[in-house]
Amino acid sequence: MKKKFLFVLAMLTTVVMLVTGCGAKKSDTIKIGFIGPLTGGNAATGIGLKNSAELAIREANASGKYKHKFELVVVDDGGNPSTAVSAANKLIANKDIVAVFGHFNSGAALATVPIFHKNSMPILVTAAIHPDITKGKYKEVTRIMTAANVQNEFAGKMAVKDWGIKTIALINDKTDYGKTNADQFADAAKQNGATIISEDGISVGQQDFSALLTKIKAENPEAIYFGGVATEAALLKRQMADLNMNCLFISDSGIISDTFNKIAGSSAAGMIAFNIGKPLEDLPGGKAFEKSYAEAKFAEPHEAYGHFAYDSANVVMAAIEKAGEKGAITRSSVATAIRATKDFPCIIGKTTFDERGENTLKLITPYISEGGKWVPYYKATTQVVNKKVVKK
Amino acid sequence: MSGEVFFQQFLNALGLGIMYALIAVGFTLFFGVIEVVNFAHGEVFMMGAFVALIVSGILVAAGFTMGSLPLFVAVLVAVLIAGGIIGVLLEKFIVRPMRGAPDIMTLLITLGISIVMREAVMLLVPNGRNPQPFPNLMDLDSIQIGGVLIKPEAILSIVLSAILIGGLAYIIEKTTFGRYIRATAQDREAAMMMGINVKKVFIVTLALGSALGAVAGLMNGLSYGIIKFDMGFAASIKGFAAAVVGGLGNVYGAIAGGLLLGFLEILVVSVIPDGSSYQDIVSFIIVIMCLVFRPAGIFGERAYEKV
Repeated sequence: MKKKFLFVLAMLTTVVMLVTGCGAKKSDTIKIGFIGPLTGGNAATGIGLKNSAELAIREANASGKYKHKFELVVVDDGGNPSTAVSAANKLIANKDIVAVFGHFNSGAALATVPIFHKNSMPILVTAAIHPDITKGKYKEVTRIMTAANVQNEFAGKMAVKDWGIKTIALINDKTDYGKTNADQFADAAKQNGATIISEDGISVGQQDFSALLTKIKAENPEAIYFGGVATEAALLKRQMADLNMNCLFISDSGIISDTFNKIAGSSAAGMIAFNIGKPLEDLPGGKAFEKSYAEAKFAEPHEAYGHFAYDSANVVMAAIEKAGEKGAITRSSVATAIRATKDFPCIIGKTTFDERGENTLKLITPYISEGGKWVPYYKATTQVVNKKVVKK
Repeated sequence: MSGEVFFQQFLNALGLGIMYALIAVGFTLFFGVIEVVNFAHGEVFMMGAFVALIVSGILVAAGFTMGSLPLFVAVLVAVLIAGGIIGVLLEKFIVRPMRGAPDIMTLLITLGISIVMREAVMLLVPNGRNPQPFPNLMDLDSIQIGGVLIKPEAILSIVLSAILIGGLAYIIEKTTFGRYIRATAQDREAAMMMGINVKKVFIVTLALGSALGAVAGLMNGLSYGIIKFDMGFAASIKGFAAAVVGGLGNVYGAIAGGLLLGFLEILVVSVIPDGSSYQDIVSFIIVIMCLVFRPAGIFGERAYEKV
């Protein structure tokens, strides 16, 4: 019995020595946390983010451009607030982690941001777009992607300044999403000198808009803005065609899907919608990223937002390096260094953070429906001339 | 409101109202004759639209031209038959086994089967969760009179509904079997004692009502160009509301109720600012007012004229 006990004790000691030995050896490796939806409805996007982040870290470690080696600690936020909070706490509890980036779902990000702040853990939000994520103006919280409200501010300005729209009829689908988009668009349009002549709500699932559109037709607006999602937008567009209405029809990113083009059919052409981001191939580092991602031979594609995670990882690594040059690498010094990022070359372009923690580089792309597809406006063969969509 | 706008809105209301009427007629028939509230009726409406989608796909593959009259007639007949068959199946497996059970049991079982039908379509139709584009079965040009633009689908719906409702009224009023239906509605026991095959009356009633409901689904697809697995729920609520307003059990009341609902909804949207937010609420306010002030419908109680 006693022998056995001694044996176990000896084994335990060996294990402990091994573990601590291992730790000591790796002391020049700095850990960075990744938090994103690896399971659930957005798992494909989340895994694309994770792979892209790993790619960035692998490249940095191989290039030897930084003094330190980096290691990614991956946790799953499940795309929902409750899982996200426990995942965030897991990262915070790991004393070796000096910075975190990630999140795709705004709900998850809104839940974890205050927790990261309380524990002075820097978090670089990668692809969640709710404006309120940076509302607290915490020094730990920065965002690389453009916030949702910018899309509507851009849209309102473009409609009035570039296309000369003076009168607008608003429609929203009475959801938080649709109403917020419509309100922000209206505010931007009004600031630029346009008048809102009417505002109407519709229900999600409603099919008949003939009466509403007949009423709006009589008001004779130069443009209609719809805040909502694809199905209702497609029905509105169809029924506008039925009523021979050819004023501009503008909407938000919620309608940019194949569903819209499929349902609206031949009347889809000329629909305008604004989206956050830009097609990857049109970004400064887009082509290079696609090439290196393909060479890395990940099992899964990088999906729509992978390059934002790649950029986030690079921003965080560079900030850690900077913090190290100035003094000790702590969560607090890294947070300061991330926020101080200036003109950092990213795939999306030169990144600088403002005092709220938002990227000063705004990526918004207007799209137009053409031949059953969404085409970036700057590449389209149709354009707005004299407040109407015409062929170039 | 200018004359043109008024006329346009009048047409919009007529198109909407007649669709409600077509659904309401089924509700009212089932209640009047069989004394059931059939909440699966909305799903029959939805199935009618999906049958039209599938049959038109098969027919086009078989060589019919999309948008031609023969194709449309063939799809219409197929939807009528499919609706009738669904009605017969509902009678055999849902309504008949529940005869004699408390009303609430029948009501709940029709609600249950409606969920089964809805989810089945969602799962069995490829990509069934998303809205399905509905083919343009009749290729007609829009008609423009002054500033008023008339959608050919709207005219088609209105004419077709009028013919179908007229046909139903003819069957009920003028044929021998219609007399059986009316007799059963008035007094089931007495009708049985007179030698009327009540069982057959039930089957035919459900088949007729369901066929009309299915055609309403087809017309809904034609008018709006999309169909979705969950479209039956809203339709059944509107149709039921129209039937209640017209007085459950009264076929002409259901027609009037459907039209009234259609016109009131359009009136609210076109006159009240931001009225479209309240479009769906209108029907229910009318139903509540009807139930409080005229529980037997807008035409009042005349039980002997049931159906």
